[in-house]
Amino acid sequence: MSMGNNSDDNQELFNSKYILTDICCWNSVQSVESMERIVQQTDYDALSCRVSAINKGYLPSPCYQLEKCKYLGYKEIHLEYLNGLRQVSRRIYGKVAKSLQSSYPVMNYGTYLRTVSIDTELNGILSKIGKEQRVQIIDLGSGSDLRMIPLLHNYPNLKFIDVDYAESTKVKSKVLWGTPSLRELLKLQEPQVDQLVRSDIYELLSCDLNDLNETCAKLDEVTDVNIPTIIITECVLCYMTQDTSQRLIDRLTNLYKIGYWISYDPIGGAHENDRFGTIMQANLRDSRSLEMPTLMIFNSKEKYADRFSPLETSIQNMWEIFSRIPQDEIKRLKSLQFLDELEELKIMQTHYVFCKVHWGDV
Amino acid sequence: MDMDLDVPMHDAIEDQQLGPTLDEDRESANTGSGVEGTNTESVGQATGPLEIDEVEDLQDPDFKPGSSGIADQKSSKPLELTNSTIDQLDKWIEYLSKCQVLSEEEVARLCKMAVDVLQFEENVKPINVPVTICGDVHGQFHDLIELFKIGGPCPDTNYLFMGDYVDRGYYSVETVSLLVAMKVRYPRRITILRGNHESRQITQVYGFYDECLRKYGSASVWKMFTDLFDYFPITALVDNKIFCLHGGLSPMVETVDQVRELNRIQEVPHEGPMCDLLWSDPDDRGGWGISPRGAGFTFGQDISEQFNHTNDLSLIARAHQLVMEGYAWSHQQSVVTIFSAPNYCYRCGNQAAIMEVDENHNRQFLQYEPSIRPGEPTVSRKTPDYFL
Repeated sequence: MSMGNNSDDNQELFNSKYILTDICCWNSVQSVESMERIVQQTDYDALSCRVSAINKGYLPSPCYQLEKCKYLGYKEIHLEYLNGLRQVSRRIYGKVAKSLQSSYPVMNYGTYLRTVSIDTELNGILSKIGKEQRVQIIDLGSGSDLRMIPLLHNYPNLKFIDVDYAESTKVKSKVLWGTPSLRELLKLQEPQVDQLVRSDIYELLSCDLNDLNETCAKLDEVTDVNIPTIIITECVLCYMTQDTSQRLIDRLTNLYKIGYWISYDPIGGAHENDRFGTIMQANLRDSRSLEMPTLMIFNSKEKYADRFSPLETSIQNMWEIFSRIPQDEIKRLKSLQFLDELEELKIMQTHYVFCKVHWGDV
Repeated sequence: MDMDLDVPMHDAIEDQQLGPTLDEDRESANTGSGVEGTNTESVGQATGPLEIDEVEDLQDPDFKPGSSGIADQKSSKPLELTNSTIDQLDKWIEYLSKCQVLSEEEVARLCKMAVDVLQFEENVKPINVPVTICGDVHGQFHDLIELFKIGGPCPDTNYLFMGDYVDRGYYSVETVSLLVAMKVRYPRRITILRGNHESRQITQVYGFYDECLRKYGSASVWKMFTDLFDYFPITALVDNKIFCLHGGLSPMVETVDQVRELNRIQEVPHEGPMCDLLWSDPDDRGGWGISPRGAGFTFGQDISEQFNHTNDLSLIARAHQLVMEGYAWSHQQSVVTIFSAPNYCYRCGNQAAIMEVDENHNRQFLQYEPSIRPGEPTVSRKTPDYFL
């Protein structure tokens, strides 16, 4: 059966394949394009995970997203989007829908953790800034993320900018425009031929984050460097090379006068017996040619946070975040699906980090 | 590249209602479609894991324990192997060892034979040294083959497996089929205890159920195996000194004799002594504690020492928990955890181990790494899940 292939490999195999892939990567422009596509497609994984977590009831979280963040219609927004996606691309819709068939608790817990962590932090910052002054959120590599909808509804002083590859923004633009309720919520204006949707409060930018000049030029057109700016990178920096991601961080943290950066990413693990990262790299490379160039470079919380130095940072792994979730909420989560063991959850969640950065003064 | 380009996923979220409706749809798809007749193509879409708390599944005639019929004509005495059954079993073992699945009809014959072996085993299966004690395998078939390379082939080496053959790995069917076939073929050489995953409810969440549907096109093989699991012994006692079980101790069990009294031929209950034996974990904290798993208990060193003292034991050997070195001592060597699934779920990076106990009760741990799968094309490989 083709379904049943596992991916347990040993170190020698990892290494030999690594070398091969490295050589292949140098090959041609075509491989750059396919790398772009491979990275872009990780968005469907993220969307699938979120839909699965919604389907099982993990999201929206009553205590975090509904009560603290005051999100309205979280589930409905996602359903509308999925419905719209079905009209735009049966292929992508099929991929996402397929994920509903096997949704393991350990994945739903992790999706829950990353989602509520980012949402809670965003809302914390936004409520601190208040509704009097203008503020903007730049979601780099936003993919199909829909958090702009409840946020824009709750914060009339907010402008939200989604940035992703052209392939991704094209689909998102079509789905948003094709779904009347979402079109209305975002106050979208009818797009010109071959243009993406936009409105006074929402912009969808297509660019490759690896191309810093293009990214900055496009951001320059729609953002204001003098107002408080929140930048989100949720599983984005991990696909970039060390240099490119560093340049992006340096440039944007200098460009915007007052800023916050919220980043979620995997880390490879720094302990000498920790093989999670090397196995993750090998698994993703083998099965879908996906590279995570800095996974083993920024392999600890400290090293990850250091990318933002000398700015003020605070970083936690997701297991630490999990351990601080109140008992009532844990009880609720437990009632949704039976999580039969914690060891695996711990291993996975200690290898994902949530980093908060702040610069300038409000 | 995308094999699943236009797979009609219609039914999954067709009518925009996620949640309960979706699960109901699946349920009716699973149970209402005439189990035998479903073709393989439709199966992948029509099914999904059911909720653990959907106990009503078991009320449905199709999901009722015993509905597979494998135990309908139980023998009154243990199975005696004939030349022809030995031939048959040897063929199956040879076939299964190549990671091939048996036909549904063969699984039915195998399970019927296995019932007539396992029903006569005691709740506390007495075992002699030498024996090699193994922990969770979880459908990692190639690593089970590696285990036999490290520990020696069965029946040359005596084996005691402490449960969790199915779920999570991609080859639960092959793994459990092989172990059961070996059990029937060499009943005195290999012992297979029940783990918490040898359960109807858990296998519906963690993969074995879905795998059976994928590989056989219906739930019947899943029903046969889960009906068989009810007959697996729950503990073993090696030379009256090492008490072996999947999970751990129970506040309702003070003596090994009390385990002998239990009625084990049933689905793993949600609570009570049988549940605890399959679910509990040792803990650094003393006494009994609430388990974070939501079933069983945690037990401290005082409890382990008392149990070993009361029952004149030297050691409790158990599995159930992922430990990075493949084995781990706790409670000042009153308890050992053995875990035999290397790189658990293809991503955890742990070593696996088995514990050899020789004629003189010397113990030796053998650790091993994941096996490499022979020449499988990279593209068809399933990725372990990550957050991307």
